[in-house]
Amino acid sequence: MSPPIGAAAPRETGRETMARARARASLIPDLLVEAHRVANNVFAGWHGRRKRGVGENFWQFRHYVTGENMATIDWRRSARDDSLYVRDREWQATHMVWLWVDESPSMLFRSNQAMVSKQSRALVLAFAMAELLARSGERLGWLGLTRPMLSRRAAHSLGQALAIAPPQTELPSAEGLRGYSDIVLISDFLGDQEELATKLQAYARRGARGHLVQIVDPVEEIFPYAGRVEFTDPETGTKLTAGSAQGLRDDYERLFAAHTESVRALARAIGWTHTLHRTSQPALRALVSLHVHLGQDAWSPGS
Amino acid sequence: MSFLPLAFASPWVLLALGLLPVIWWLLRLTPPRPQSELFPPLAILARLIRQEETPAQSPWWLTLLRLLMTALIILAMSGPVWNPREATLAGEGPVALVIDDGWASADDWEKRRQSAEAIVTEAAADDRTIVLITTADSEAPAAVPLDPDAALARLEGLEIQPLKPDHSATARRLGEAVRDFSPGSVFFLSDGLRHEGSDELGNLLAEMAGQREIVMPSGGELIAMAGVRNDPDALVGTLVRPQGADTSDIPLVVTAHDIKGLPLARTEVAFGAGEDAAAFRFDEPVELRNQAVRVAVDGIANAGAVQLLDDSFRRRVVGLVSGQSADLAQPLLSPLYYISRALSPFSDIRQGRDANVAIAVPELIQQGVSAIVLADVGNLSDETEAQLSEWLDKGGMLIRFAGPRLAAASPARGPARGEDTLLPVELRAGNRNLGGALSWDQPKKVAAFEPGSPFFGIEPPNEVTVSRQVLALQEPELEQKTWARLEDGTPLVTASRRKAGWLVLFHTSSDARWSNLAISGTFVEMLRRVVNQSRTNTAAAANADISLPPLRLLDGSGRLGAPGPKAKPLVLSEGVTPVVSVENPPGFYGTEDGFSALNLFAEGDRLTPLAPVEFAPGVATAAYAGNEAVAFRPWLLAAAAILLALDCLAVLWIAGTLRTPALRRSFSRGASPVLALIFLSAMAAPHVAHAQTNGPSATQSEGTDVDFSSALVTRLAYVVTGDAAIDDISRAGMVGLSRFLASRTALEPGEPAGIDISSDELAFYPILYWPVSAQGAIPDAATMARVDTFMKQGGTILFDTRDQLSGPFGGTASSPEALRLQAILSGLDIPPLEPVPPDHVLTKSFYLLDVFPGRYSGGDLWVEALPSGDSPVDRPARASDGVSSLLITGNDFAGAWAVDADLRPMLPTVPPDPAQREMSYRVGVNILMYVLTGNYKADQVHIPALLERLGQ
Repeated sequence: MSPPIGAAAPRETGRETMARARARASLIPDLLVEAHRVANNVFAGWHGRRKRGVGENFWQFRHYVTGENMATIDWRRSARDDSLYVRDREWQATHMVWLWVDESPSMLFRSNQAMVSKQSRALVLAFAMAELLARSGERLGWLGLTRPMLSRRAAHSLGQALAIAPPQTELPSAEGLRGYSDIVLISDFLGDQEELATKLQAYARRGARGHLVQIVDPVEEIFPYAGRVEFTDPETGTKLTAGSAQGLRDDYERLFAAHTESVRALARAIGWTHTLHRTSQPALRALVSLHVHLGQDAWSPGS
Repeated sequence: MSFLPLAFASPWVLLALGLLPVIWWLLRLTPPRPQSELFPPLAILARLIRQEETPAQSPWWLTLLRLLMTALIILAMSGPVWNPREATLAGEGPVALVIDDGWASADDWEKRRQSAEAIVTEAAADDRTIVLITTADSEAPAAVPLDPDAALARLEGLEIQPLKPDHSATARRLGEAVRDFSPGSVFFLSDGLRHEGSDELGNLLAEMAGQREIVMPSGGELIAMAGVRNDPDALVGTLVRPQGADTSDIPLVVTAHDIKGLPLARTEVAFGAGEDAAAFRFDEPVELRNQAVRVAVDGIANAGAVQLLDDSFRRRVVGLVSGQSADLAQPLLSPLYYISRALSPFSDIRQGRDANVAIAVPELIQQGVSAIVLADVGNLSDETEAQLSEWLDKGGMLIRFAGPRLAAASPARGPARGEDTLLPVELRAGNRNLGGALSWDQPKKVAAFEPGSPFFGIEPPNEVTVSRQVLALQEPELEQKTWARLEDGTPLVTASRRKAGWLVLFHTSSDARWSNLAISGTFVEMLRRVVNQSRTNTAAAANADISLPPLRLLDGSGRLGAPGPKAKPLVLSEGVTPVVSVENPPGFYGTEDGFSALNLFAEGDRLTPLAPVEFAPGVATAAYAGNEAVAFRPWLLAAAAILLALDCLAVLWIAGTLRTPALRRSFSRGASPVLALIFLSAMAAPHVAHAQTNGPSATQSEGTDVDFSSALVTRLAYVVTGDAAIDDISRAGMVGLSRFLASRTALEPGEPAGIDISSDELAFYPILYWPVSAQGAIPDAATMARVDTFMKQGGTILFDTRDQLSGPFGGTASSPEALRLQAILSGLDIPPLEPVPPDHVLTKSFYLLDVFPGRYSGGDLWVEALPSGDSPVDRPARASDGVSSLLITGNDFAGAWAVDADLRPMLPTVPPDPAQREMSYRVGVNILMYVLTGNYKADQVHIPALLERLGQ
């Protein structure tokens, strides 16, 4: 008998994941590099407040008022006519980002074609995200576990909180969510689809914008089994025996693609983004993709 | 099963075949164990596999395979035998078992023993005693009935005797046994040959009452070797086989072995159709043939197919006596020199220890020499003459050579005939001088040898001339006595018989003074033939009985071994041919120094087959049981094992293990037909597959690519020191010199090679440039041994200390590089060195040079010192054999030769003189030419002198 293709990896928490996450995060440019230029405003964030203020996006040109800092004059605009103009920027406020990682047993799965287990990859993504966000001064929280905190070491604090908390296997309730927050949910979304839809809608009703990162082991996608195989569900322990597994491959691939598509549709229906990430790929890839999604305007087209 | 000639050793095992349905049911129920896999998206999979799968049934063919396998194993366990030996015992009373255990039974002795054991086992079942009679041992005690266990034990201990069965003794013993015990059944396990007294035995068998059976071997090749002779020109012998035998035409290989058992020579021999004897011969040189002591047929292990050769075929002992005092300072002038050189390949030479002929001759006679050579001995004392005469009469051979002394002695003996009894012919006084200053004759050549002469067949030597000889007086018998003559008809070699002995006279000298016969190849051949006329070991021809202890004896399978307990000394009496017996089995008798061989077969012996009908009419015949009985068990088990292997593969296939990507790829590329082929061949002929796996595996090229390219093209090589700067310059220098060589000379070297002195093969490079750096590591002993080998095998190493400028006092031996060089060379066998002398080949091998500059000028180039010959001063070059294996310089050659990619010099010369660089290149060319052509150039410089000497 050849060794099984997939196995449950030990649960990873805390330190080593954090270190790897830091390494990943250091490769990403700061989410809001520009924000650092606005040195005085601790509340620099993504969401424009639709009024003049300290921010990055252009808001309006206005006449220069004597006594203002000369450096704020927009000389290009001022050269068009006789008066001096100052470029106003939209005022941006800090923003709250909630992170959550599914730690159910199915996430511990790791096949021989994957680099790490799904849980490990999910935690790395979450911590890397936390590191990035904390660096750009966002308020961070672990959904259902901590309060939002504003700290350069927020990622570290989250890791510590996670280390002592029991594994998060269920999506937390929407309570505690306040308006204008982003939720990053990292899971394989193999659980009950109905329950997932209900939860997501509850979050959306609270005004949260969300990002689903679906972690998939390559084996789950391409189904490389052949011959007589007994499959075991890590969540429930249910066993299924396939007499000739290779015969199921095509049907299974289609079904799994449909499942992925349904999760994506669920997200899109409420305006959330969806990122599919395979554990055979580097974590950086998902991180960049998530980064792009977070930076995008919530209501812009695209996934 | 009675309708088939099939029997089972344990038929009850076949009952297990009834279990097959149960096994079938079990096999159907038990599917192969599934591969267990963790699978998170089970819910998705569950939509495909709706219901819990019931255990799958094995495929029908797998079940069939396993059932077949089980059936095969059960069948194998029951021990089926095809053509079993049927129960043969009849009658009552003891069973008499007569077994031929002579040499002819050796080939399939096991089969015979099994047959005998089968009979004994049957007798044991019937509770009958057994009388066991073997035929080879004629002096065995009387046969007594044995109980079956004792008979089995005796059978077990029975060994083949290297003897001929004695059937008359057997008949006598069987007759006694019949008288005493009246056996109910008599079996004669024959070897298929008629032996001495076979008639008596046959008559006895025919007369006996009750059950009688003769068991005959079926087919088989029985071959014996009858007589081997070491003739002067070849070792000849005969193979015999039973008359009427129709053995295959495959040539048999006969091998001659020396005393240590090593094969000396092989020859092939095949029986002609319908012939029962085949002659073979070894045409190897006599020196080789003389070493042969055992001649045997390859692949036949019995004592009949072996012949032993003893001393009597071997080298003659020749004594040499000269009249001249042995002048050891000038051996070429000694009359015995050429004789001993010509005789030594095929004779043992005894030099007379004393210069005095009167003492030396009796001494040699005492030593029992076969022949005595008297080279230019004129006068013999009467006493010596008498001794020699006596010795000659007993069969000695006296070979005399003429010479100044003999010529001078002849008249002194007076004209009376027959007075000097030790010459074959009467000689005229003095000698005949042909082609001298006062003669008009030319030196005479040797005429063709006549048919009556022992020299007949030797090509008459055209180059041999005789300028002086002693002449024979005319006499009637001269014609018959002459063995060789000159072209004018005068005798050159004469001989006469003296009772048992020979008197031979060469009418010319045994050195080169009278004739160049002694230094021709014909002389060797002539002497060989003369000596071969002589009798061997005259000393052994004693008249008393000699008792020779057994030395090494043949066993039943034809191997030489230590004598057994029964062996007794062989008594040789005059006129009595020794007989092979139990006490004197064939083998060597005597001591290591001299032994006598006793053989089973003599020349002229033939094998006669035993025809059962004529031999003992009315007696039943049968074949050995083992001949046709075929036991199926191993084949069945082998088939079951193959099925098991197939089953394993099938299980692996079902489990999907075989379908990993790599395997799948190889399968799709045609591995499966190959596998199928392997299995087919394994099933058809297991031993064939075995032979294939044992055969030489795919030949692997051992050389590296570097080696190949180095072997195909001449490349300059430099030693990689590990110091990148030095190595770069070395490489660039070799490149520069290669370019220069290619443009100026016919030598176009390949890409220079950097050599790791400790590991790379050096044999491909004619020269190795070795820059010595003060920091470089000193190679270890093994490496220096490689370097030493390289130098000894003709390689040259150019050491460059590059210290001409930096070294104190202009590069003397005390610079760090020079010290390092000394350390390196301390591990080598270094000949004396000298700076290149003005007349050394190196100064002329391509360009004419007088200095050897590199980057620096002024330093010497050191080479191996030439032998200080007293060659004429005017010679332009001194030749020495070989090439100096060592060149040492301090001038940094590579630095001067080094060019960059654009072929510009990399380093300036010191002093910066363009001419010096050109000169350094020329030095390189000269060195290369010297290394590649050796002293050829030294000879070239002599061409004008040679042409002048030739008169042109």
